[in-house]
Amino acid sequence: MTVTLNHCLGLAAVIFVTGMAGFIVRRNAIVMLMCIELMLSAVNIVFAAFARQHADAGGHVFVLMNFAVAAAEAAIGLAILVEIYRRRRTVDVDELKTLME
Amino acid sequence: MNGFVAPSVGGQLDVLLPYLVVAVGGLAIMLVDALVRTRRRDHLPFLTLLVLLGSVLAQLARSGGEEREILAGMMTVGDYARYFNLLFAGCGVLTTVFAGAVLERDGRGRPEFYPLLLFSILGMMVLAAASDLLTVFLGIETMSLAVYVLAGGVRGDVRSSEAGFKYLLLGGFASAFLLMGMALLYGFAGGTAFSDIAGALAAREGDLGLAMLGGGLVLVGFAFKVAIVPFHMWTPDVYDGAPAYVTGFMATAVKAAGFAILVRFAWLMQPQLAFVWYPVLAGLAVVTMTVGNLVALAQSSVKRLLAWSSIAHAGYLMLGVVTLISPATGGSAQMVLGREVGESAGSALLFYLLAYSLMNLAAFGIVASLGSREGEADDIERYAGLSRRRPVAAAVLAVAMLSLAGIPPLVGFMSKFYLFSAVVRAGLVPLAVIGVINSLISVYYYLRLLVVMYMKKPEADGYAGHEPLAVGAAAVLAGLVLLLGVVPDGVHRAALVVFRQMSF
Repeated sequence: MTVTLNHCLGLAAVIFVTGMAGFIVRRNAIVMLMCIELMLSAVNIVFAAFARQHADAGGHVFVLMNFAVAAAEAAIGLAILVEIYRRRRTVDVDELKTLME
Repeated sequence: MNGFVAPSVGGQLDVLLPYLVVAVGGLAIMLVDALVRTRRRDHLPFLTLLVLLGSVLAQLARSGGEEREILAGMMTVGDYARYFNLLFAGCGVLTTVFAGAVLERDGRGRPEFYPLLLFSILGMMVLAAASDLLTVFLGIETMSLAVYVLAGGVRGDVRSSEAGFKYLLLGGFASAFLLMGMALLYGFAGGTAFSDIAGALAAREGDLGLAMLGGGLVLVGFAFKVAIVPFHMWTPDVYDGAPAYVTGFMATAVKAAGFAILVRFAWLMQPQLAFVWYPVLAGLAVVTMTVGNLVALAQSSVKRLLAWSSIAHAGYLMLGVVTLISPATGGSAQMVLGREVGESAGSALLFYLLAYSLMNLAAFGIVASLGSREGEADDIERYAGLSRRRPVAAAVLAVAMLSLAGIPPLVGFMSKFYLFSAVVRAGLVPLAVIGVINSLISVYYYLRLLVVMYMKKPEADGYAGHEPLAVGAAAVLAGLVLLLGVVPDGVHRAALVVFRQMSF
C-alpha cells in the first residue's frame, strides 16, 4: 500500500481530534498540556505532508520552529504548574478556582 | 562551497534596527541583572526605558513611507508596522513606569519582568510587520510566551500563578488551532508567504475549501488573542489574577498586536473569501460587544469590570474589521469607492487602538497605584470617597472612565465617532445602531465607578495607595486623552496615510 496525502491528513485529523477531546474532557493540568502537544504533533504531520506534496522546504522549516516553540511552551507551563502545586498540592484544574467568582 | 551566497541584510539594517535594539537590549538587561548584584534593582527600569527610547529613535530616524519586503519576504516594513511599533513602545514605557513604582512599593524583586516585557514587545513588533505565516507564528508565540510569564510570574502569589497557567493552557489550545489553520493554508497555497496565498487566491487554483477552513482556524487563533466572544473565557480570570500593571499591558499592547495582524490578514483574504467570513465576523462582533457590556454591568471587581469592558471594546474593533471586509469595500483595490470605505475603516481602527491604549493604560495605572503590599485595589466599594483621599488619582480615573464610555470631548468619543461613521459609510447601518446602543449601556457601569468615587462617603478601609510617579504618568495619559479628543484631526489623518501605504 502506498501512503498518500490523504492518509497523512487522515492520521493528523485523528490525532488532532484526540488531543482536542482530551483537552476538553480531562481535568489534570499535565494531561491537558500533553493534549496540546498532541494537537501540535498533528499540525506537524500536516505540514510535513504538504511540504512533500508541494516539494517545498517551507513546511519542514515550519515543523522545526514548531518543535522549538512547543518545547518553550511546555517548559513555561510546567514551571508555573510546579509553583501552583507547591501552594495548592493539586494539579486538577477544577480545584484551581481562586479566580472564579 | 562554490556558489554559496549568504542572504544579504545590507541595505536592510536601518529598517531592522528598531527590532535589533529591543532584542539585544532585552538580552543585555538579563546579563546586567546577572552580573550587577545590588540589593536594589532601580537600574533595570531605567535601562528598559533607554532601550525602548532607542527603539523609538531608530524607528523615527529612518524615512518611512511605502511598504517594502525585507528578509526575503518574511516581513513587510513600512508606516503600518511603524505606527504599531511606536504604539507598542509607548505601552511598554508606561508599563515599565507603573511596574517600577509598584514593585518598589511591594518590595518584590522581579528582575525577569523587564527583559520579558521587551521580548514580548519584540514579538508584537514582528507580528505587526509579518508577511509570512512563519513570522506570524513566531511573532505571536514570542509575544504570548513572554506574557504568560509576565502574568503568572509573581512568586508566592497563587492568583497570579493561576492566571498565568490558565492563560497558557487556553493560549496553547488556541495556538494549536492557529497552527492547524496555517498548515491548511500552506497546503492550499504551496507556500507560507502572504504573497503566495494572495496569488493562489487570485488565480483560484487549488482547493478553496481548504483555504476557507484554514483561514477560519487562523481567525479563531487571532480571535482568542484579542478576546472575541466565544473565545474570551480566559479574559476575566487572567485580567483579574495578573498584577494590574501587567493587565494594563495585556489589555492594550497585546490587543493592539492581535488587531494589527488581524487587519492585515483580513485585508489579505478579503477579495475572495470575504463572503464566507463577513457574516460570521459581523455576528461575532455584535455578540462580543453585547456580552461584554451586559456582563460588565454586574461586576463588583474593578479589574473584572475593565476585563469585560475590554471584551466589549474588542467587539467595537471587530466591527471595524467587519467593515473592512464587507462587500462595500468590494475587492479592495479594484473599486475607488470601495477602497475609500476600506481606508476609512482601517484608519478608524488604527485611531481607535491608539485611543483605547491611552485611556485603558491610564485606568490600569491608577488601579495599580492604589493597591498596597496587602493586595490590589480591586473591590469597587472600597473606592468610595476616593476623590477626597486621592483627588488627582480619582480625577485621572474619572477621565479614563468617561473616555471609555465615549463621552465628548474625550478621545473615546472621537474614536467611536470615526469607527461608527466608517460603518455607516459601508452601508451597515444596523451594525452601527447596535454599536451605539452598546456604548449607551456601557455608560452605566463606567459612571458607577465615578459615582462611588465622588458621591459616596469614604470608608475606613478605602484604598489609599499613593505612587506619585505612576499617578503622574497616568495624568499625562489623561491629558493626552483630552487633547486628542479636542484636536483628533492630525493623528487621524496620519492614521489614514499609514493605512494607505499598505500594499495588497
